[in-house]
Amino acid sequence: MYEFRFHGRGGQGGRMAAEALALAAFLEGKYAVSFPFFGAERRGAPVRAFTRIDDKKIRTKTQIYEPDAVIVLDESLLETEDVLEGLKDDGVIIINTQRKPEEIELSREVRCATVDATSIALDVLGKAITNTAILGAIAKATGEVGIDSIEKAIIEKFGARLGKEAGEKNAKAARVAYESTVVGKSKGGKQFEPKPQWLPTVDELPLGGSIGTMETYAGLVGIGSFIENKTGGWRVFMPVVNDDKCIGCKICWFYCPEAAIKMVDKGAKTKKAVINYDYCKGCGICANECPTKAISMEREVKA
Amino acid sequence: MNLNDLPEDEYFTSGHTACPGCVAPIIVRNMMKILGKNTVVYTPANCLLVFGGTYPYIAWKVPYFHEAFENTGSSISGAARAFKKKRKDVTVVGIAGDGGTYDIGIQALSGAAERNEDVIYVCYDNEAYMNTGIQRSGSTPYGASTTTTPPGKKIPGKLEHKKDMAEIMRAHEVPYVATMSVSHIADFLRKVEKAKKIKGFRYLHVFSPCPTGWRFDPSKSIEIARKAVDSGMWTLYEAEYGEIMDIYKPKKKIPVEEYIKGQGRFRHFTPEMIEELQKWVDKKWERLYGEKP
Ligand SMILES: Cc1ncc(C[n+]2csc(CCOP(=O)(O)OP(=O)(O)O)c2C)c(N)n1
Ligand code: SF4
Ligand code: SF4
Ligand code: SF4
Ligand SMILES: [Mg+2]
Repeated sequence: MYEFRFHGRGGQGGRMAAEALALAAFLEGKYAVSFPFFGAERRGAPVRAFTRIDDKKIRTKTQIYEPDAVIVLDESLLETEDVLEGLKDDGVIIINTQRKPEEIELSREVRCATVDATSIALDVLGKAITNTAILGAIAKATGEVGIDSIEKAIIEKFGARLGKEAGEKNAKAARVAYESTVVGKSKGGKQFEPKPQWLPTVDELPLGGSIGTMETYAGLVGIGSFIENKTGGWRVFMPVVNDDKCIGCKICWFYCPEAAIKMVDKGAKTKKAVINYDYCKGCGICANECPTKAISMEREVKA
Repeated sequence: MNLNDLPEDEYFTSGHTACPGCVAPIIVRNMMKILGKNTVVYTPANCLLVFGGTYPYIAWKVPYFHEAFENTGSSISGAARAFKKKRKDVTVVGIAGDGGTYDIGIQALSGAAERNEDVIYVCYDNEAYMNTGIQRSGSTPYGASTTTTPPGKKIPGKLEHKKDMAEIMRAHEVPYVATMSVSHIADFLRKVEKAKKIKGFRYLHVFSPCPTGWRFDPSKSIEIARKAVDSGMWTLYEAEYGEIMDIYKPKKKIPVEEYIKGQGRFRHFTPEMIEELQKWVDKKWERLYGEKP
């Protein structure tokens, strides 16, 4: 049995990728299953999906804890969690990044394949949807499924949903990714501190009581404590303000769903919009609504 | 009030986990700037509940309670009575989704309105049960694709038209009913400010585009809200004791076809379906404005 674990963010299509991978294996006459991890997860929040492939019937229904391959659709996830957790020693990690394998620092030195799926997707599909391009990289790095069956599976699965032309384009994205995937070795040694869970005593949180804002060993809890949850990692495109064009109208400030815009006095006649990238999710509303087109959305390269 | 007078303070902070481009946090953070610190908030199960805080992390900076799906109307009634008994002047607000308002919470809401409880009830209307993965509600517009109304060969999406919830609330002849959209900032701010000052039952119904469930590019959220108003799909008005006091009329009415363009939930629309939706809008227009569009 060969097991794949996908790490992505909600809305990036990790689940569709996991399903298409299973379909590709099925087209080769193998047994395959795939399923996502369900939670109250929204677009942008970290999510996981799983695929198992085998020559015989698959009875295991659990999540995958010791994968043979880990796939990372969003490289900002490398900073926040140890995606290698449980990966077999001879396993491989496949990452969507502009960097080369030897430039990637992980908790261990492992076989590592990298591919710039975001650029490929923007190029071939005109959208930063990377879940089909990454499948090409999976074919290359694992050899568990052939690129031809990956293409067939994409045309069947994505074509059914988005139309024939879109299906073929997505298959092409996978092929381009297959050809440009670089396989090497990652660096090791990165440390991850597991985030402690807040387990209050009855004195801290009496039964039937409610919580105010409290500083605890697990960070801030209670009202207003979500401020410690930095959502900036969700972004693909980043808004950039051109101060010369900003007339300080506050429209972007009103509309930012994340309260990530402040009006700051920079010594000019009017205040200027300043973006807090710790929280900005890159929705693009500010750029779309700015009356003077002072905000542009630019491709963000994550380090 | 205009944008320059809107306070800087945030009572719904950054760090919440709504999808990028979600309108619900735009509604609540700006509404809270006006309602202010002396407010308690009740929310039943919905997206806002989940993205605004999962224990022990909370985006709200005012007392915040989670109640059962059916109960918003009765929970806020009880809270408001308790504060009255304790002689505390607190604004009690319940914020529910369309599922929690049109369908599941309607009896408790109707009861609270009929008793003229001293509360503000807010419905943020994203036209389906989003938190559980896009199921149709009484608010879902005709023809829209949801996971429980998937368009196929026989059934073209949702068969029924959107229920007119604000009109149901207006029929309760409560002190204040307002329909709102953040696309119209001044109108939005004015109505929240007005609601805050009024005593008795106040119902605010805010249109809340959902990029995930309606399937559109998150940057277009406000543009879509604006087109909803301009097409007549969503009408901005306010009513006091059942009388419409003010109604906004778009300068130029756009066809519904322009509104539905770019929203994946309407992608399968045929010319006949567009016509059906347009007829519904025109009928509503005639009823509310007292003249043919
Ligand atoms: C009594 C009850 N039934 C069902 C649920 C499951 N549930 C949680 S949130 C939700 C959808 C809420 O829809 P809506 O009120 O429109 O808010 P939205 O999520 O769309 O913002 C459902 C069905 C529940 N929590 N309680
Ligand atoms: S909307 Fe544009 S002009 Fe207005 S404050 Fe923001 S950046 Fe400046
Ligand atoms: S892109 Fe969206 S989240 Fe980022 S600053 Fe603009 S409005 Fe806020
Ligand atoms: S599903 Fe829709 S309403 Fe819910 S958080 Fe996402 S965008 Fe907002
Ligand atoms: Mg809803």
